[in-house]
Amino acid sequence: MLTGSKTTFKVRQMLPDIKERMLSQTGVNARSRDLFGLRCLPGECVLQRAVMVRKKLTAREGRGWLSGTLFCTHFRVAFVPQDSPKPDDNADPVLLGDHDVALASIEKVVVVGPNRTKLVTPNSSLKFTPEELVLYCRDMRVVCFLFDRLTPESQVQEMTYSIAKTYQPPKPGSVLSFQNAALGSVEMKQFLSNRRRDAHMNWFESASDWEQELERCGATSWRVSSVNDRFEMSTSLPRFIVVPQKVLDTELKKSFAHFNEGRIPRWCWRHPRGSDLLRMASFQNNIYHEKDDIRNLEMILFGCQSSLCVVVELGEELPSPADIQLAHSRLRALCLGDISTSMSVPDDKWLSTLESTHWLDYTRSCLRKASEVACLLRGGHLTVALQEVEDRDMSCVVSSLVQVMCDPHCRTMYGFQGLVQKEWVMGAHRFYSRINYHRDNDKEEAPVFLLFLDCVWQLWSQYPSRFQLTEDFLLALHDSVHLPLFSTFLSNCQRERCKRSQNLGQCYTPVNGWRDVLHPDSSTDPSDPPLPPVWDWSLQYSKPRQSRFTQPVPPTPPLQPLLNGNLNTNPDKHRLTDAVPGSVFLLSRGTFSCPTNLLPWRNSSSSSSGVYKKSHRRALSSENVPGLERLLKAWALVEFPQALTSTSGPQGPLDPYEPLLPLLMGPCMGLWRECYLRGALHAQAFSHPLSANHLHPVERLAQEVQQLKDKLEQVSTSTDPTPPAVTAEPRRADTNLNQNTNNGTFLFPASRPQSAGALRAAPLPTSANQHTSRGAPAASAPQSRPAHKDMGGSSKHTFLFGHSSVIDAHPDQRYYSASSNAKLPKSNGPSLAS
Amino acid sequence: MEKQAGGAGAGDGAGANRKPWGSPTCGAAAGDTLDSPTGSHVEWCKQLIAATISSQISGSVQPDIGSRDIKTLPGLRYGAQVKMFQNQVPLLPGETIQTTVKDVMYICPFSGLVTGTLTVTDYKLYFISVEKDSPFILDVNLGVISRIESISVPNQGENNKGLELVCKDMRSPRFAYKMEESQPDVVEVLTKHAFPLSHSLPLFAFLYKEQFPVDGWKVYDPAAEYRRQGLPNESWTISKINSTYELCDTYPSVLVIPTNITDEDIKRVAVFRAKHRIPVLSWIHPESQATIVRCSQPLVGPSDRRCKEDERFLQIIMDANAQSHKLTIFDARQSSVAITNKGKDGGYESESFYPNVELNFLEIPNIHVMRESLRKMKDVVYPTIDEAHWHSFIDQTHWLEYIRLLLAGAAKVADKLESGKTSVVVHCSDGWDRTAQLTSLAMLMLDSYYRTLRGFQVLVEKEWISFGHKFAARVGHGDENHANSERSPLFVQFIDCVWQMTRQFPAAFEFNELFLITVLDHLYSCLFGTFLYSSEQERANQEVPAKTVSLWSYINSQPEDFTNPFYVDYENHVLYPMVSPRHLELWTSYYARWNPRMRPQVPVHQTLKDLLILRAELQRRVEELQREASSHSLSSSSDHSPTHTAGTPLHTAV
Repeated sequence: MLTGSKTTFKVRQMLPDIKERMLSQTGVNARSRDLFGLRCLPGECVLQRAVMVRKKLTAREGRGWLSGTLFCTHFRVAFVPQDSPKPDDNADPVLLGDHDVALASIEKVVVVGPNRTKLVTPNSSLKFTPEELVLYCRDMRVVCFLFDRLTPESQVQEMTYSIAKTYQPPKPGSVLSFQNAALGSVEMKQFLSNRRRDAHMNWFESASDWEQELERCGATSWRVSSVNDRFEMSTSLPRFIVVPQKVLDTELKKSFAHFNEGRIPRWCWRHPRGSDLLRMASFQNNIYHEKDDIRNLEMILFGCQSSLCVVVELGEELPSPADIQLAHSRLRALCLGDISTSMSVPDDKWLSTLESTHWLDYTRSCLRKASEVACLLRGGHLTVALQEVEDRDMSCVVSSLVQVMCDPHCRTMYGFQGLVQKEWVMGAHRFYSRINYHRDNDKEEAPVFLLFLDCVWQLWSQYPSRFQLTEDFLLALHDSVHLPLFSTFLSNCQRERCKRSQNLGQCYTPVNGWRDVLHPDSSTDPSDPPLPPVWDWSLQYSKPRQSRFTQPVPPTPPLQPLLNGNLNTNPDKHRLTDAVPGSVFLLSRGTFSCPTNLLPWRNSSSSSSGVYKKSHRRALSSENVPGLERLLKAWALVEFPQALTSTSGPQGPLDPYEPLLPLLMGPCMGLWRECYLRGALHAQAFSHPLSANHLHPVERLAQEVQQLKDKLEQVSTSTDPTPPAVTAEPRRADTNLNQNTNNGTFLFPASRPQSAGALRAAPLPTSANQHTSRGAPAASAPQSRPAHKDMGGSSKHTFLFGHSSVIDAHPDQRYYSASSNAKLPKSNGPSLAS
Repeated sequence: MEKQAGGAGAGDGAGANRKPWGSPTCGAAAGDTLDSPTGSHVEWCKQLIAATISSQISGSVQPDIGSRDIKTLPGLRYGAQVKMFQNQVPLLPGETIQTTVKDVMYICPFSGLVTGTLTVTDYKLYFISVEKDSPFILDVNLGVISRIESISVPNQGENNKGLELVCKDMRSPRFAYKMEESQPDVVEVLTKHAFPLSHSLPLFAFLYKEQFPVDGWKVYDPAAEYRRQGLPNESWTISKINSTYELCDTYPSVLVIPTNITDEDIKRVAVFRAKHRIPVLSWIHPESQATIVRCSQPLVGPSDRRCKEDERFLQIIMDANAQSHKLTIFDARQSSVAITNKGKDGGYESESFYPNVELNFLEIPNIHVMRESLRKMKDVVYPTIDEAHWHSFIDQTHWLEYIRLLLAGAAKVADKLESGKTSVVVHCSDGWDRTAQLTSLAMLMLDSYYRTLRGFQVLVEKEWISFGHKFAARVGHGDENHANSERSPLFVQFIDCVWQMTRQFPAAFEFNELFLITVLDHLYSCLFGTFLYSSEQERANQEVPAKTVSLWSYINSQPEDFTNPFYVDYENHVLYPMVSPRHLELWTSYYARWNPRMRPQVPVHQTLKDLLILRAELQRRVEELQREASSHSLSSSSDHSPTHTAGTPLHTAV
């Protein structure tokens, strides 16, 4: 294994003066690894170090201080706490330690001296000895180091200069040299090329990936088409797209021309009640519609629902990328304050200023739109097609939000990663342009993905127990976006990614994915190191940090095997009356309409398509609009509480596909403090003495239980000749235990005592919980059932089970009220209700 | 049964979650009271009180069943059964129905008109809808009513009258009803019982006949509390000088004062301090012996009067703390106001007359400003919430700004003691409003005892109730003069500050949010004697402890409902909350709780309770597994056994 002991250094990657500096520091470099336990990457050079430095810890890290040694390498600013364990030389390299900051994510360097604050640039010289070094990062972290009086003054000065000179001010070219610094060494390249893709998640790169998703969703009347295999139909669409079974590739080919960039309606997701979610770009209007074309277009659009299609236009009510960019930059300015003057918004204007960034308005509008779509899908048997001019920004946001709301699988870590892969990476969100790593395309820059993460966080904070992933995961993803190292974010579409990897000399292996095999020659090209996907978390985060990405107790098994087949067993009163086949409606501003030009071909080709004209006319007078509006009302119920009685009743409280509809009123939309305010310096002004590694009792308890389980496992296996009866005993305990922990998963997001987020104990609970509150039998029945089922291995009936456990709950309830009556014979309460 | 009761409100998206915990449509506990299988009084009152709250209601506070018998919390059973009468109005022991009016329409700001029956008792107003499909209950205790107004009801025909109840807890339900000759006007009855003191009637607390197994009046014993603090000691003594309330009628009978001072001197100091509220000890630091001393403003007057005894008194206080040769006075007022007060014979200590004294103004506005701020807040949260301008409207109330000032002031006091090891004197004008806020918050930061359920009760009893915060005047119990400028939500503000701290230090407080809301609800309800009257002397004269029930009896009879499952004792930790507005939040689950759309996804306290239970269960599991492991008797199994018992404090409650 490579241990980083060999220091290879490529001169041409670095500016000459840095090279000199580096060479002059080789002594330090060699010593430091021995003495201070900084584990370098292969090829990484320590440029400077300073001893007796303290790092300010944020609330999330437990507040307070940590002393240790500060390093500046040509890739990162590293901090090694005093008593950190000796690094394991055989471990895989981790790009960034828990306390490190990559140079590329540093935005500004500020030093604080006695009574003064100075912004340090590569050319500035210091006239005082800094006491404090503050790194403002692009990901809105603010990392603060304090020098001790015992830190040698020269070290302090040199450290400041080193960082100021090596951190990379945004300019074209700096990204590449940063990538090289991190990943450019031969060893690193080899290491990366040997990495295997994580098989737990769906990467949506091959046809079989998509088929797997179709199967998972039970979307039987759809197929994977490789018509775009060579990106000939559309440059931005992925190689594989999902279209209705009944449309042949030859027919399909003719339809690309009718859509902007050739982004025809494609399948995204199927709701278990039988609705399909599609997304598409806007229509090309000035094109002649052949009769055959029209037939094909209609077939593609209606997918497998013959009757009803709702087109959701995303342009109007959602922010434009420019809006998002403006809002985000205002939010940054507000949360980080004006760095150079260290002045911030006056206290009494904080909320108003926050409001005027419109960031929360935008998250709200995305969530609202997604909620509307989720409610439509819940209605069953219709096609919802998201339409956006380019189909590469807000449709990514809305389609993935809808799935997070509706599909428990997307609320697991792997499921969520698959979702991002499906809707964003393959959906060709222009990550590269939107993030603007090179700072050469300011017009296109817009943190659309960050807005999405904020939306997910809002959902998470209102329903933490329904997520297997945690806020830590969202934060990690948020921060990774700002690190120009990941293939995930460094291209605009699959075609670009493929091109890039071909340039690297990789084999073109359509089915197994092209990243798996790295041509040995590639390492000879230093300009372009192979980039890992962001999902390879071990590159960035240590094991303990990664373990916080998911709830501490293993997720409940029923989250995994999902909807299978159209299990619309619920007698559904949401159900629409049979619609005129081919009805199309436009959903806009919460109302449905059918403008005549909604589908351009129906309008233009009056001569050729009498049939459609006719059906269209009939649809216009349709009785469907009210039906649709009723669906939406489920969402609007929030505004009209009365309507609830009718809808809330018969719903199985356990239906796992009931969308998580967020509350969107002013007081309910929170600021993601843990992300945007984690660096605010005044937030650390008073420190709390509680130590960071003080686990919350519940968490600790969960850990203990886990440990004990493992121990037991060990014990029972090691003492093999134990009679089966004895082994059976602990095992049964395990299943029991699982139940408990299942019930308890909701605990853990709130269990970290120091985090403000944890405090959202208020919205903590969820259905499982509620059940618990009704009494134990009701609570345990639904929870245990899926677990058993899972053991049975049949995933077909997941949905049914959800349903049947509802039925089960009823006897429980009856039993319950009876028992409570029995216990309290004098109570008149229940009689009142009847 | 539950489904039907769901009534309005659960519009909640988690469709799966639908459960009628709130039918907050109208802030009423629609189905919930009905659901409650226990029907026990306490249960009922819980719903009614904290209650009716979208956020806290639980039709689900049902104890439990079967397998989870540890969950069976005896506390819930305390208290007598609710008597269910005609019209199914649940009554408290001692409560009597005054009038019942049929065909009343409740004008719900959220869902339109609801027709039903209105019952007025001597404790509450109880409205139940007649519509079978959406049972709806509105329950407003009369104590919470600030004023009763007639409103015009258009389009409802002749003889119709409208009625608006403007409440102290941020809501204003409205009704429309027909006048009938035969019956007394409901407004008259309401007015009589909502403002009993203005009609020579007793407050309901004196009629309330509930029996609780725990006597809350025993929670606070001044001697025991001072003993806990290590008093008396060589510098401080527990004095009986005010045992007959002669020295100061608004102070408690038991005071802690320096040892080296004569009664004559004290009397002279009393004359020099407003309302005779002399400097007395509130809290002493267990290590440094630095103290928090509270008093009222000195009567300096325009001519800069001096009082040698007062100067010496402060000197002695300073000397009692060997760690520091300074004394810091925190004057809570705005400096300009303090100066103006000189003209009214009040003023502040001049640093030139008091050697080694440092005077700080905390610049906190007066009670009238606070009242106005909360009034503005009501406009923001009730009946509608403006989505787009929510944040700027909140800014405009300045409420969070004042919360910040208070917390920052208290943090300064605490820091002075903890880091500066310096004794501190806190006063405002009279020393019973802002002073109480500051000292109690500082003590909460400094002393982990006050962060327990019991300790907090002691803190409130001590700093607020015994030291003469004028609850009667500030709240206006049973008094119809709603425009009285003496009214001000200072205690609400204090509880808000406490809530802010619980948000920032989620594991540091033993009590939960329901506890805080319950305390505030009973601040107004007049159900318990705890907050009645303005001083210890008045309460003694009225025999409050003998004739009424203490709020703490109710709470301590079922502590598990009010317990924070995350609690770990941060003993010896000083909590400095972050006071930047970035870290303060509006307490929407209190202020905006009457908005049906505000309901959280699930009743909070129920979750917390479940957490406690779950924890117990986990612990049991661990123990079982350990037993099992040890029965395997392998060497490896021994080393993990001690972990849990050592590390995890488990609540006795469960």
